[in-house]
Amino acid sequence: MLLSLNWLKEFVEIPKNLTPEELGEKLTMHTVEVEKVSRQADKYKGVAVGKILEVKPHPNADRLRLAKVDVGREKLEIVCGAPNIAAGQFVPVALVGAALPNGLVIKPAEIRGVKSNGMLCAPDELGLGEDHAGIMILKKAEPGMKFSDYLKLNDVIFEVDNKSITHRADLWSHYGLARDISAFLNTKFKQVKTPLIPLYKGDKPLNPPFKRGAGGLNIKVKVEDFKLCPRYMALAMTGVKVAPSPKWMQDRLLACGTRSINNIVDITNYVMLELGQPLHAFDKNFIDKIIVRRAKAGETMETLDGIARKLEPEMLVIADSHQPVAVAGIMGGANSEINADTTSIIIEAANFDFTSVRKTAQKLGLRTEASMRFEKGLDPTLCELGLARAAELIKQLCPGAKAVGKLADEKQTPLIPLLKGDKRGLGPINLDLNWLNQYIGENFSAKQVKQILEKLGFGVKIRTLGVHMDTECLFSVIIPTWRAVHDVSLPEDLAEEVARIYGYNNIKASLPKADAAPPEQLEERILIRQIKNILSVGAKMAEVYNYSFVSEEQLKKLTPQPPFQRGAKGVIPLSKGGEGGLEVIKLVNPLSEDLAVLRPSLIPGLLENIKTNQAQEPEIALYEIGRIFLNQPGADELPWQEKYLALALAGNESEDLFRKLKGVIGYLLKELNLEAEFEAVKAGTLGVQVDTECLAEVYANGQAIGQVMELENNSARALGLKKPAALAEISLAKLFAAVKNNPARQYAEPPKYPAAVRDLAFVVNEKILYNKVVKQIKNFSSLIKQAELFDIYQGDKLGAGKKNLAFHIIYQADRTLTSAEIDAIQSGLVKHLEKEIGAKVRDF
Amino acid sequence: MESELNNLKQKILGDLEKIKDLPALRALEIKYLGRKGELTKILRGVADLAEEEKKTAGRLANELKKEITARLEQAKIELANIRSQAYADPTLPGSEVKTGQLHPITILQNEIEDLFTSLGFMVLDGPELESDYYNFTALNIPPYHPARDMQDTFYVDLTPPAPLLKGGLRGVIPSSLLMRTQTSPMQIRAMKKYGAPLRCIVPGRCFRSEATDVRHEHTFYQLEGLMIDQGINFSHLKGVLEVLGKKLFGPDTKLRMRPKFYPFVEPGSNGEYSCFLCRGQGCRVCKNTGWLEIVGCGLVHPGVLKAGGIDPSKYQGFAFGYGLDRLAMLKYNINDIRLFHGGDLKFLKQF
Repeated sequence: MLLSLNWLKEFVEIPKNLTPEELGEKLTMHTVEVEKVSRQADKYKGVAVGKILEVKPHPNADRLRLAKVDVGREKLEIVCGAPNIAAGQFVPVALVGAALPNGLVIKPAEIRGVKSNGMLCAPDELGLGEDHAGIMILKKAEPGMKFSDYLKLNDVIFEVDNKSITHRADLWSHYGLARDISAFLNTKFKQVKTPLIPLYKGDKPLNPPFKRGAGGLNIKVKVEDFKLCPRYMALAMTGVKVAPSPKWMQDRLLACGTRSINNIVDITNYVMLELGQPLHAFDKNFIDKIIVRRAKAGETMETLDGIARKLEPEMLVIADSHQPVAVAGIMGGANSEINADTTSIIIEAANFDFTSVRKTAQKLGLRTEASMRFEKGLDPTLCELGLARAAELIKQLCPGAKAVGKLADEKQTPLIPLLKGDKRGLGPINLDLNWLNQYIGENFSAKQVKQILEKLGFGVKIRTLGVHMDTECLFSVIIPTWRAVHDVSLPEDLAEEVARIYGYNNIKASLPKADAAPPEQLEERILIRQIKNILSVGAKMAEVYNYSFVSEEQLKKLTPQPPFQRGAKGVIPLSKGGEGGLEVIKLVNPLSEDLAVLRPSLIPGLLENIKTNQAQEPEIALYEIGRIFLNQPGADELPWQEKYLALALAGNESEDLFRKLKGVIGYLLKELNLEAEFEAVKAGTLGVQVDTECLAEVYANGQAIGQVMELENNSARALGLKKPAALAEISLAKLFAAVKNNPARQYAEPPKYPAAVRDLAFVVNEKILYNKVVKQIKNFSSLIKQAELFDIYQGDKLGAGKKNLAFHIIYQADRTLTSAEIDAIQSGLVKHLEKEIGAKVRDF
Repeated sequence: MESELNNLKQKILGDLEKIKDLPALRALEIKYLGRKGELTKILRGVADLAEEEKKTAGRLANELKKEITARLEQAKIELANIRSQAYADPTLPGSEVKTGQLHPITILQNEIEDLFTSLGFMVLDGPELESDYYNFTALNIPPYHPARDMQDTFYVDLTPPAPLLKGGLRGVIPSSLLMRTQTSPMQIRAMKKYGAPLRCIVPGRCFRSEATDVRHEHTFYQLEGLMIDQGINFSHLKGVLEVLGKKLFGPDTKLRMRPKFYPFVEPGSNGEYSCFLCRGQGCRVCKNTGWLEIVGCGLVHPGVLKAGGIDPSKYQGFAFGYGLDRLAMLKYNINDIRLFHGGDLKFLKQF
């Protein structure tokens, strides 16, 4: 919203020594966020009025001339190409250094061998029209006078962030903002007296002081739904002459960003900007009566912007007996628009339900200056003020205009909606000074509080409770109508008013006193931090953050079948479930198809990360911790959304990434004091195609916590990967449970007697799993404490389908073991392995 | 036996003189002293000798082993000296030790978590897929309230189960499960779970349906703070925000507070810190204002306390929230917010 300083000054006294920038800053610190303060004069910085003293031909160019110009402090030689200059004229001169509205910066120049110190300006160069035929010729003026002063451009425009006033319907006008300014500056505020012309006497609407019912022009107004339209006022006027509005009004509107249309439409806009009440003017000839009703199914209407609008039954419209003539609170219809031939009009000043206007504006995709104001919840009493001001301005601009017929005023009772518990919308609110001072942490005096609230228009009555009036005081506060709709209703609201007008920055800071008890720590968060440190610092991986949204296309590529089933068994989908069986959750309003589905796995994100980096990075090691989502019940009556850890390695063909990644997981679990094991599984849950031999379930202390796998080559290529990649996904909840169930770390005394190590290498069928082999070795004798795999070989030397495994077998007992004893066990072990798994011991 | 040993000794010493480098020395050591080495064999043989002979032969063999071992050690040192006479460039780089990285937002989040933990705040975590009730209605933002304009929301295609509907929604909005637009719903969840007094922060991922560019993201990170106790007031809010500012931007940092409307606080405010780069003089970072707009805050609205099951006549509280990504951008001079989710190692490896 744009606000004019001159306009504000009509309602509030602003000290002369306060610069506009200072006022802007104060506004920001007390009331609304001012984004920009611009002085109109700045548009013509460096442009002055000059008097042409003489005009000579240019010595080297026929079409150019040389002007000597008096600009007050000096006389300048300026080369000019325009034909219309002559000695004695007054012209705008852009001095060296000036930046013109069209972006041109004036520099000293030499034109065809003659120095030129400035530029004489045509209207278009000054942004004053399209005319470039000649230099702008001014009326007589003081040479050297600022061109902005010549144009009487002395206003300052404040640009207010609309989002900073969504809660204050009363601030959407010069009048309302002036009131707040008067409160924080503590200066005089000029209250608009109702009625400006006598429309009302007390609560009773008067007939206009004109002859009644001339030509049967009484307006009939019928409001069908007072909930959506708490008040509808209308005044008919005849003898109107539509014409351009005067320059002062056009200037004001333009300064505030509103285009001038004609005097009648301009007046409705002017009143809205001044007082905050949106108005609408209908051509009376096209309307027989006014019905405020909901639109009928299938009804359409062309709005003033020339677009045919489809109306829906929950939308409120203004209609005559035939058709809708306006979308209530949003925009008028083309069918009753004010035009050059209009002579009689109906001015509408109404109040509409904020929710209804908002919904309708959203549905129609049509937000207007009027709808923005209604959406905030306007004061229903403002209609009177707005209508009276409009009538006054119409009388002023069209002296022949007459109000005719009876003033229409249909309204609900009570006019101001009730607060909760049948409390009057206007209060009073009981405000205890003691409470207020406690709530803010200040020592306001009763006088201070009363003054601030009264400046803002609140009615304040003081009831003292004790001897110390300054501290023991109870206020009874009446809310002014313009703050009563969806704004102030609680003592806390009043506390904000006092605190902000006093100034948040004037309130002292202090630290709260609280129990020294240490905070309860969420173990899961600590674990997550630990995991991140282990992986980043220890395993030298990079942590990534990916979006929570993926594309359906991407998911389908990864997983033709629907394997995204996690969590509890026998799940009951929250909805009827997606098509194609993917139990994923979709966004209703995604930004794009690429971000349409809530990720059911972290893997798609990591695959994308590998693609991003594969051209530059020879080795990629990434991980992410984040939530994944599925359409099944989860905690807190919300859909399932759990934290997972996913890891990805990508690198050389020569490297066994699958084992490397298992190594990382083993390292992670070891750091968490857990033991990692990997079991073969047939089907993956990660949603990517892999060879089953490169797929394993990860166990932590015997609990399954996730899966690890290497991408099968073809599917990697199909996904756009140029490197082999291994991936893993681990449920943090399951890992957390394993950590929790793990007994605390205990020191174990090192064995007193030395261990004996014997190496054993043998060839077995490659389908015999490591896990099985180790079990066979370890279970063979209680003296075997460890079987450490130190080499594995598969190759031509062994023949197809075979592998060689080499172990360190570690023997240990509570005594020194003899060679003979160990030899006996070892040879027994060899026989055992031959029998159980068909191992053939290999000679070195 | 004795002569056998002498011969062996001569042989070993003869071989040793020919040795020019360490690998050859090692080979020699294995040849004679290794598991199957010649001297080792003799030493093993001693056990089979007659008792009388055993004594002398054992002594001699052991002496020889000692001597040879000593000579080999000596030779090792000499050979090492020869090698170290080559010039070792002291400026050669060390061999590479790889590094891993935490995400910059994680780093910042850890720092702030530590600060608030030291002030006695719990660190909580909450659902990212939230109900409309917790994200809006319980925070004083009923359906179609204009304050919803401030936050463009992603809704999901599910209808919540019946118990949630009782939470005040009455089916006004067709899809009432959404991606949380703020961490504030955790205010209500924390109040319900822990009651008062309460001190907590909630860092977390939030979502708004905004087109992305260098300064806007649909996915971003907030850190919410909440303190509820008897007698908590605006002055306390200022005190805690001053501490936060000094931690984030240095000990000289000043706090400036101005009014700002958030439906869940009353009074509501925006806290700005003096620009750490120009110290309030005005620069590119602070858009020449000297101030950085960082933290939305205020005293918890009584309606919100009630929604959290806390009696506003007994307890008061303050709440604040700010963007972790914005802070990370300021701190590390990151000029494009999209880098955080880009997964580009050229970016990530700088942290």
